[in-house]
Amino acid sequence: MYLSSLTFTLLAMPVLLLLFCCIPQKGKPVFLLLAGMLLTCWNGPAGILIPAVFVCFNYGIGLLLGKLSEKRRLCLAVLLAAVTTQAAALTIIRQNRQDAAFIPIGIAITTLLGIGYLIGIYRKKYPPERNFLHLALYLTFFPVMFAGPLLSYQEFSRQLKESRPNIRCLGDGLGLFVRGLAEKVMLADTLGYVFRELRQTDPAGISMLTAWLTVMSFSMYLYFELLGYADMARGLSRCFGLELPKNFGQPFFSSSVTQFMENWNITHILWFQTNFRHLLFGRAKHRWVKYASLVLMWMLIGLWYKPSVQFLLWGMLIGLILAAELNFFKHIPDRNYAVGLVYTAISLQFSWVLFFADNMTQVLHFWRAMVGFGSGLIDKYGVYFLTSYIVLLLVCFYIATDLFRNITERISTTAVGRKIASYMPLIDSVLLIFCLACMLYTDAPAELWLQL
Amino acid sequence: MHRQYHYRTLLMLLIVYLAVMCNTTLRGFPKPTVQTVLDGSWAQHTEQFLGENLGFHDSLFRLKTQMDLFIGERIIQNVYITDDMLLEKLPAEQDETVVDSAAVLNDFYQKYRIPSYFVLVPSASEIYESSLPANTVKEEQETLIRQIYANVQTGIRCVDACNVLSSVKDEYIFYRTDSRWTSYGAYCVYQSAIRKMGLTAVPYNRYVISHMSTEFRGNLYEKTLYDGVQADVLDCYTYESGAQIVSVTAHYADGTTEDRGTALYDMSLLQSGNMYEFYLGKPCAMLEIQTNLENDKKLLVYKDDFADCMIPFLLQHYSRICVVDLEQSMEISERLADPTEFTQVLFLAGMENWSEIWQKKRMTQ
Repeated sequence: MYLSSLTFTLLAMPVLLLLFCCIPQKGKPVFLLLAGMLLTCWNGPAGILIPAVFVCFNYGIGLLLGKLSEKRRLCLAVLLAAVTTQAAALTIIRQNRQDAAFIPIGIAITTLLGIGYLIGIYRKKYPPERNFLHLALYLTFFPVMFAGPLLSYQEFSRQLKESRPNIRCLGDGLGLFVRGLAEKVMLADTLGYVFRELRQTDPAGISMLTAWLTVMSFSMYLYFELLGYADMARGLSRCFGLELPKNFGQPFFSSSVTQFMENWNITHILWFQTNFRHLLFGRAKHRWVKYASLVLMWMLIGLWYKPSVQFLLWGMLIGLILAAELNFFKHIPDRNYAVGLVYTAISLQFSWVLFFADNMTQVLHFWRAMVGFGSGLIDKYGVYFLTSYIVLLLVCFYIATDLFRNITERISTTAVGRKIASYMPLIDSVLLIFCLACMLYTDAPAELWLQL
Repeated sequence: MHRQYHYRTLLMLLIVYLAVMCNTTLRGFPKPTVQTVLDGSWAQHTEQFLGENLGFHDSLFRLKTQMDLFIGERIIQNVYITDDMLLEKLPAEQDETVVDSAAVLNDFYQKYRIPSYFVLVPSASEIYESSLPANTVKEEQETLIRQIYANVQTGIRCVDACNVLSSVKDEYIFYRTDSRWTSYGAYCVYQSAIRKMGLTAVPYNRYVISHMSTEFRGNLYEKTLYDGVQADVLDCYTYESGAQIVSVTAHYADGTTEDRGTALYDMSLLQSGNMYEFYLGKPCAMLEIQTNLENDKKLLVYKDDFADCMIPFLLQHYSRICVVDLEQSMEISERLADPTEFTQVLFLAGMENWSEIWQKKRMTQ
């Protein structure tokens, strides 16, 4: 069941929250685990099997690693075997997407969390979890199964022990959930519609304007879709008394790709930093090793998004740009802000093509059209969507930049800001009405993160 | 945030939630069975059920339409919103596949060798191209229809509805809130079709026209719930001194039949949600109509719901008319009505349905 479905928001969530409030503190983790299992396998009970195997596997290997902790070499061998097995299993599962009933929601996240948990034990950050239920809850925690944010096991178990959910968490969390829902169904879905409509043009005969509009609407669509799900997850977790970190900043309008990526899928990238780059190359001093490890890490991130050559290339491209920024253009953004902005925007928009194009020929067609060598500069199709959606695109662009944050922060300390804050509950409930209106359109296509 | 705001947020959201849920009728909520729960179809049905039965459904739907219009979109749920009327946007087609659809007719003609006629009606968005929102791109239906006609065998005679309708585009030939044509639109095409079929059309002034309803809001309105367009008029054409109906029998796909007396129009449906069904009554696989004309002319019509307004005009020329729904598979329709019993066959469909029906037929083959 998706967080943005009517069934979840109107039926499942109220029941879930009501029961959660009634159940004594001790039973809450078990309740969350059971509820999560029910929701995961809502669209097909077979979906529960794969996560169950993953949980048992990680539980067993975790205990084994704990036992072997003094024999470092053996320990490393077990860890490597376990990581490879899970990565391979994930790849195989994702290749067989057509058996949708057997592919549970968020299996990619479960895998990441599982591998991170094992690496943590190996690095002696925490002892292996003996309570099976707690580990199962961590690996299949329902809200984060869509688009994160990821939490380290240490942090999760600490919060689980200390959490005392109260009415304050509930009100605050629900407000955040509704705002996340609005980002998803009001912005992302509309942008997704624009993107899909624009995508119907044959890439071989696409004009410069249409190509740019397609890429821009896609990048906004991707951002708001992932942001919306992450915010819904944070809101829901807050209702349960868990405080998750932000998964996205406001990356658009960055003056370097590094700055952009620091605000993009924050917890996922942090996971790859700690569990891959620092683990393997943390002690490397040579700067070329650093750059190589950076490129390698981004290739892995690309593959994690989707195991395909295009995503590998995307990762490599981003990795190379980041490495180049680290070495050559370190000071350019400071000196020339405008140049930085334009260079970042253009290079990223070019990279997104790799995300949505069907094959490399299409990618080349798109790139050619974007630099003006496609079929003409403008066409009717592009003009229609430009005139119809330019306002929405600009509004989204504005929300996705930190210009907005600066203004809201500045206002929030003034009397006007406090007045606005007092109307926040009203704004949230109006947003809920708007969200329900948007959710009525039943022909919503498959979620973007599912296609990734 | 100040502490009391959390209570306020909770309270406000709860009010919205309860207001919506109290107005949601849970009657007809999908019942779970082991089978449907296991294959996930129950989950889909509940989602769909909630979407259709949510409290304040229509108001929320209008809100969404207004939101889209506000940001500048003029195409909502594949409907062009213009000042005077709603126009359907046809899905982008792969031209070659639809052009192939002529093969179905050719096969039929090869098999029975009965004089056949083919009318493909363009959608209103083709006729009223000039009033579409600026810069929209739509496919050339007229060219497509010509291509399909060109692929049809010479024995089958095609009627150029595009030209006929374009020449009377200033008249009320398409409903403002529905994708189908009005009785007058059907009459114009009937005139030119019946001439091809070797008969003389009944002059327009012989008909008595009565307005059955001035509150008709059709399928495009249902899709968008956009109120900015004036409601439509449902007309009923009667020809007192012409042929009269002797019997109307409806045959359903499951083999049952229903005697509908001597009335073609079903007045009771004017009070229902689907006023358009008034023309031929409740949909069925085949409608068999006998008239008091004493000639040996018998007509077999394969049609979609575009033809509903046309049948009353055709009645004046035939002693027996069988109207078979194009959606039925060829086997069922042959079982219902044996084409060899008829003297003429008419294929009549709107462009939007034709491509859809054709796709479905291809899939079953």
